[in-house]
Amino acid sequence: MLKSIYVTPLNLLKSASTVQQQVRTTFILKRKYDPPLHKTNEKPRRMRAKHFIYELVEDTLVKKRPNMQVVLKTFVEGVGDKGDVVSMKPHFVYNKLLLPGLAAYNTPENVAKYAKTEAEKSAVKHSSAYAQRTVNMLESIVLAVVMNKDEPWVLEPWHIKASLRKAGFHCREECITLPKERIEGPDLKKENKDFYCTITINKLEQAKLKCRLHHWSTDPSERLPYVLEHWKMESEPLLNVGLPEKSPETTQ
Amino acid sequence: MAHATPQGVKLLNGWKRPGRFDKGLGAQLPEAYRKFWREWKLTTPAAVHYIPKEQEWQRDEVTHAILPVQNIPLPLIDTPESHQGIWGGEAVIKGFQKRQQTKRRVPHFWVPNLRRSVVHSHVLDAYMSVVVTERTLEQIHECHGFDHYLLKNRACDLRSALALKLKREVLQALQKGVPALDDEPDRQQEVLKEYGRYLEPYTPEEIDWYGHTYLEAIRKLQKQLREAEKVKPHKVEFRSKLIEQLRQAGISEAGKLEQTDSQTGSSAEHKDSDIEALTKLESSPSSSWLSKINPFGKKET
Repeated sequence: MLKSIYVTPLNLLKSASTVQQQVRTTFILKRKYDPPLHKTNEKPRRMRAKHFIYELVEDTLVKKRPNMQVVLKTFVEGVGDKGDVVSMKPHFVYNKLLLPGLAAYNTPENVAKYAKTEAEKSAVKHSSAYAQRTVNMLESIVLAVVMNKDEPWVLEPWHIKASLRKAGFHCREECITLPKERIEGPDLKKENKDFYCTITINKLEQAKLKCRLHHWSTDPSERLPYVLEHWKMESEPLLNVGLPEKSPETTQ
Repeated sequence: MAHATPQGVKLLNGWKRPGRFDKGLGAQLPEAYRKFWREWKLTTPAAVHYIPKEQEWQRDEVTHAILPVQNIPLPLIDTPESHQGIWGGEAVIKGFQKRQQTKRRVPHFWVPNLRRSVVHSHVLDAYMSVVVTERTLEQIHECHGFDHYLLKNRACDLRSALALKLKREVLQALQKGVPALDDEPDRQQEVLKEYGRYLEPYTPEEIDWYGHTYLEAIRKLQKQLREAEKVKPHKVEFRSKLIEQLRQAGISEAGKLEQTDSQTGSSAEHKDSDIEALTKLESSPSSSWLSKINPFGKKET
């Protein structure tokens, strides 16, 4: 009976009726020696120094945090599309998604509020969350296209494919669109000259890839001198070679 | 006998040392502030730094005697810095460590890990850079937002003057209908709908007095008292009386009777003319008296 009276004022003081799980991300200590027992509803007895000897039970700061789930409000590059419920690390979620207002907490109301409408579903703008990242990567590099110095050749998509593979990108030949003009060689006038080709990702996103021609011979004495970090240098565009056509339907 | 003592009949329940709300200005603080004080200082906060035992009784391992469980919270120290940041209920713990069985205990302070981060309030529509702990951020996530965290938690759990001040500002903003979002009526309505329920437990006076430290509350009270008993100086009062009397006597320098009240547009000019007339009245006798004494002064004809 006494206990029930004792508890009620605490509940009245609560500003909202919510049951909260206790989170502990801090030092959790316990007493090495239990303090002496005191009378019910009386002040605790005076404690001695030994009752202030604490032992560390757990330091929760060094524990791994579980992932956090949020609903995306818009398309976020590298994360997901609008209305997706994504689960990521809490600091990333808070700093990169919640604070800039790109996402909301995962509640049923928010899920319903930010779900994609039919109109938005039909108008696909992004093939995947990661495609734009690949586009950015492709557009930031200068691709070295190394061709033979001795044998005659005509530039074909598989040359670009092989060069991309050397740079760490794997793609199919259908994705590569070369410029309309034929690029033939060997021609040392074309050494270290630029041209552009288009890479189509998931049949949707298009990346403009900057390529630079180089000549290479199997005979070591015939080889051109080595140029350190050629991609940092200024260069000229290839003469008579324009940009590739923009027609994703035909090139896939 | 009891009525003769300063505490009156209350002495019958035993002598009680007068506290901060029993003497001086503190006794004049309203009940609204005392309610907040009870919530802030006289309530046991949630266990942050220890795990309270759930059961009521436990058996002693050696003697097998049944003993009651008494959870005595660890004493925490609230540093001044804790009131400048939002530490989410954490505080400094002062105690000892027993590192080796054969060695003397060593004093030790357990201090929370602090970092600076940004919090966003929807109601105030503001981003704030504050010093927080990991626990604060986790609680914000658990409550689904900073505003919910402030409004859901009691003052004793917030444990920071800054958080309490922000809570008062949020409550006041909600009371006024979120003035920060006046430009976006749709969002304003959404925010009001989401957070409006938190206004229920408070009366307007309680919100006004919420989240002040004791000193701030005293200052606020002093300001209120000072404003209530603002005294008009006798100088001003008597002067206006005199002017009124002069007017009624029909003296032209005092201005005309009705015009000053009826014509609001030119009241300022009339005031000026009144003052000029008054200064003339005051200065004229003294100047004549001075001119008599001063031999170099121009003689009045």
